[in-house]
Amino acid sequence: MNNNRNRSPSISPAAVVVAAIFLLVSVIGINWFTSFVPVVLPPQASAESKSVDELFYVLVIIGGIVFFLIQGMLLISVIFFRAKNGDQSDGPTYHGNALLEIVWTIIPAGVVVFLAVLSFNVWMQNTEPKAAVNMVDGAEVKINVNGARYAWTHTYQTGQIDPKGAQIVINSGNKLHTYIGQNIELELRTQDVIHSYWAPAMRVKQDLLPGNPATGGRPTEIRFTPVRVEDETYPASYPIVCAELCGDGHGRMTGEVIVYEDESQFLQQFYEPAIYAILNPPADPVLRGEILIQEYICNSCHTLDSLGWTSSTGPSLNGIADRAGERVPGQSAEEYIVLSVWNSQAFVVPGYTEQMAAFGPDQTDANAMSAEQLYAIAAYLCTQGEQSDCDIENQTVAIPAAIETAFGLEVDITFGQGDEAETDSS
Amino acid sequence: MATIAVPIGAQGNSQADEAVSRPALGEYLRWSVDHKIIGVQYGVSSFLFFLVGGAMAMGIRLELLTPALDLMASGSAYNSLFTMHGTVMIFLFIIPMWAAFGNFVVPLQLGAKDMAFPWLNAFAFWLIPPAAIIILMGYFVTPAEAGWTSYPPLSTLFSGDGQTLWALGAHLLGISSIMGSINFIVTILNMRPEGMTLWRMPLLCWAVLATSIIAVMATPFLAGALTLLLLDRVAGTTFFDAAGGGDVLLWQNIFWFYSHPAVYIMVLPGMGVLSEVLSIHSRKPVFGYRMVGLSSMGIAFVGFTVWAHHMFTSLQPELRIPFMITTMIIAVPTGIKMFSWLGTIWGGKIRFTSAMLFALGFLSMFVIGGITGVMLAALPFDIHVHDTYFVVSHFHFVLFGGSVFAIYAALYHWFPKVTGRMMNERLGRIHFVFTYFGFLFTFFPMHIVGMLGMPRRVAVYDPAFTQWNQLIGIAAFVLGFSTFIVVYNVIRSYFRGPIAGANPWRALTLEWATTSPPPVTNFIDDPIPYEDPYGYGTEAATAYLDAVDETFRNGRPASGSH
Amino acid sequence: MSTSISHGQKAKPRDQRAAALRLKNNRLGMSIFQISWIMVFFALIVVNWQLRFSYAQWPPLGVTPFEPLLPSLATLALLCSTIFVQRGLAAFRGAEVNVFALCWRLALALGIVFMALIAREFAAVSEAALATQYGVTMRLMTGFHIVHALAILGVMLAVYRRAVAGAYRGGEAAGWAVEGSAKLWHFVTVAWILFYVVLYWLR
Repeated sequence: MNNNRNRSPSISPAAVVVAAIFLLVSVIGINWFTSFVPVVLPPQASAESKSVDELFYVLVIIGGIVFFLIQGMLLISVIFFRAKNGDQSDGPTYHGNALLEIVWTIIPAGVVVFLAVLSFNVWMQNTEPKAAVNMVDGAEVKINVNGARYAWTHTYQTGQIDPKGAQIVINSGNKLHTYIGQNIELELRTQDVIHSYWAPAMRVKQDLLPGNPATGGRPTEIRFTPVRVEDETYPASYPIVCAELCGDGHGRMTGEVIVYEDESQFLQQFYEPAIYAILNPPADPVLRGEILIQEYICNSCHTLDSLGWTSSTGPSLNGIADRAGERVPGQSAEEYIVLSVWNSQAFVVPGYTEQMAAFGPDQTDANAMSAEQLYAIAAYLCTQGEQSDCDIENQTVAIPAAIETAFGLEVDITFGQGDEAETDSS
Repeated sequence: MATIAVPIGAQGNSQADEAVSRPALGEYLRWSVDHKIIGVQYGVSSFLFFLVGGAMAMGIRLELLTPALDLMASGSAYNSLFTMHGTVMIFLFIIPMWAAFGNFVVPLQLGAKDMAFPWLNAFAFWLIPPAAIIILMGYFVTPAEAGWTSYPPLSTLFSGDGQTLWALGAHLLGISSIMGSINFIVTILNMRPEGMTLWRMPLLCWAVLATSIIAVMATPFLAGALTLLLLDRVAGTTFFDAAGGGDVLLWQNIFWFYSHPAVYIMVLPGMGVLSEVLSIHSRKPVFGYRMVGLSSMGIAFVGFTVWAHHMFTSLQPELRIPFMITTMIIAVPTGIKMFSWLGTIWGGKIRFTSAMLFALGFLSMFVIGGITGVMLAALPFDIHVHDTYFVVSHFHFVLFGGSVFAIYAALYHWFPKVTGRMMNERLGRIHFVFTYFGFLFTFFPMHIVGMLGMPRRVAVYDPAFTQWNQLIGIAAFVLGFSTFIVVYNVIRSYFRGPIAGANPWRALTLEWATTSPPPVTNFIDDPIPYEDPYGYGTEAATAYLDAVDETFRNGRPASGSH
Repeated sequence: MSTSISHGQKAKPRDQRAAALRLKNNRLGMSIFQISWIMVFFALIVVNWQLRFSYAQWPPLGVTPFEPLLPSLATLALLCSTIFVQRGLAAFRGAEVNVFALCWRLALALGIVFMALIAREFAAVSEAALATQYGVTMRLMTGFHIVHALAILGVMLAVYRRAVAGAYRGGEAAGWAVEGSAKLWHFVTVAWILFYVVLYWLR
């Protein structure tokens, strides 16, 4: 037995054959692995996705080599070096081999250096700031993303001016609209906890970090450029999800990237109609409210069948007008509704917690809501019920009165009804 | 060759009958400063927490069978469930479970009579039950629902009182871990027998030493982070509240400065176990002993420089690159271990005991965790899969495929020493098959759903992933079921298993050179370690093992010595 | 129990060997504890340091910086205290009980002076400073330190009283309590110097 001391263990010819077979299997196996790369990743919808996937491809090949090498050696050991029945003897007293140890230190070290360099290059290439970003009609448009529990809001600062002299801001809710070749640069802000903006098809992800509102928050940025995906019909839609735990509705905090085929399709189908709708709001406050309420994040917590909302973090809004008059003694239905929208803590429905954010003219970003907007939203909510407690006939008086009582603000009920609106709608 | 005289120490002269009797079960429920009792206390309590955490995992998978929220009352209920799953598994199962094996085995491997500070040892253990009660109590008030990572402001401004209790409990567990680790370091450095230099020390001791060094250096950062969290929650400070001049990334930095090394706290002892089990059950010395020991230290050291890879999506972009590089470097010492283990079994005489099966299972599963670890280090790819099921899969390959497989290997390996009885090998093999395949089919598909776009920690997901999640769910139930096999095996073997004898595996390390279970003082007299803890296959080693067998024939020291 | 000794070359009575081992263990354990627990203080320094970047300048606009005079005096008192502790320990080992008692009384008094001065600093943080992390982290760090100083001063006092009453005689192993509490006080000193530099000099 002592003869074995310090001698390399012998390997039978059969082991060599098996090793050769294994080498063959690994080559085929790695090939097979890599054929899955397109299957296990979402479509490559951005320029960045292509280089990330190429890196992944290299990682899979190297990982595959390591995988088959180790599992192969393991399998060979298990088959060939098992003690025969009744064999009580020990193996060879073989303590190691300095050369081998140096080799299996140097080679992995070289591989990780290679991977680090490769990753570094891909990273630098993907994060390089681009010259012309968010180009619409030859001008740069600022796109802000707001994350709030549990919804995304995208706003386009168009740079165009409405008749009252204010900048036109398109609020596209949880949808980011873009077109092939547009260099997207988003500025992300959160108004509560950390969220993470992830568009899997674009291979980009960035956390939204709470910052001090007094100093403009703590904006983070995300950049990508949509590219054409083969066999895709445009406009195409790709998901956005929240990747950082943000609470109850984290899984529902989703959105869409809508990619148009080219700039003209983008302008025709999204940008110009959106601006037109802002300049020409419906005269009826109920219709206006129906549009407005969908620009806010209400759907992230409430159920409302008429708009297809299904979330259950907050109380259901189905039939809200039927209950509004009885919730708080002494409060009219209108007062209850306007109070609950701006200052939800005033009355928390039993069985729910004080999670709802505040809205109002003092709030920033996605929660900013003027008294005029509140008027329209309240008018819409007053129609949600069988026998509304609201005084619908007199809504132009009753709701402004409620807002006056609750917040001491006067409402300009001619909101948005410029002369153009009159002429266009006629 | 001349006959080789191998001294094993004067183990004769015994009070033989007392030596082999097992402690009464009641002793395990009382305060005791005997490291063997404490080891079992750690082991049994953490295994109970494993069952609790496992039951929670089953709840998670049950919810995820469908893409909608159905089993749970709300997303919050789901969030608190996985928060508890993570907390229980990490703080109450894996870390204390290694304290169990470390406690029982390390002093025996060193030929010591007890740990360096027996009272402190017991105290460290008895901090765990109150800490566990505090944490679990939190689950029944308004549970913590910010994940085990408890990122503020979710954990400060938007969580219930359960979060405060969570932080208090984790605080106690951290202190327990520091005390235990100080004990291990002192024991290992000061209490080795004459003739056992650091370079002749069993590799489990090396691994426990490296682990303990990490624990004493890193856990204080957890204490710091939790103190701030508690102050923010109860004292109105704003360390993590940006509106008050705080910084949410502060928590991430301090927390991960502890919690990344904590991953090595959870896996390094398993690597030590693997070196023991692979060598003993393939009857061959550990290949490249020094490099295996040094790589433990290398992992411990580099482990302190990689924490911010958990923050790749929140850190300033220019700071991400250095952490990518350090993270990749840590693959090198890990690779050294993998290859050394393969070198160990290569050419050996492998015995397919249950312990060996789980050790081989570790090798085959941990390598996947290692490969995905390098993938996650690659920054551009990580950006895509960060906070997705790819990550969930990766760390389960490390912590289940690594740590838990190693815990099972250690259980089958040292159970005879702890109880004096052998485990049932047939049940062990069945257990292995169910665990191995249940594990593989639970966690491998998670890579794919993660890459396809499913974030982690969601109760509601894109219906496109339903079939994947159902496959994962079914496999997870098989994995959950497999646990009952080992529970049954342990209970059955404790009462009816065949008598083990002192050294059933014919191992050279010192814990086997005494009766099973060892007497209260561990050894009758100072034992003499064999010169090479893994020197199998020489005449001298065989003579030593024969001398041990002769001395402890019939499970007790033969009178009149060797 | 067998009393045979297997390593004859270093024949010492068993209990003497055990006592020597206990002392060796205590010393190593204390060192590791010190290295470990100083990390909490480092963690708090990291807190202070990272929160500086939340502000454009440090101390933040409108906050007057802390006056370093009193804390410097306190630091001096603490340094003297720790030197007296060490001198006292040497005296205790040399069985000069009177010197030991004098040194430790001085050390305890200086320790109390230190704590009083720091407590005054803690209380004197301005409202303006407390509205920012400049004041809050200062209170966090000094408060955390005072808790340790107070506890360890208590330990030292207890050890001192038992030591002058004649306990802990008979060799280094028996005198561990004196040595251990002295080392804890050195720990307090080192921890404070770290904080002192960060709070009052690194701006």
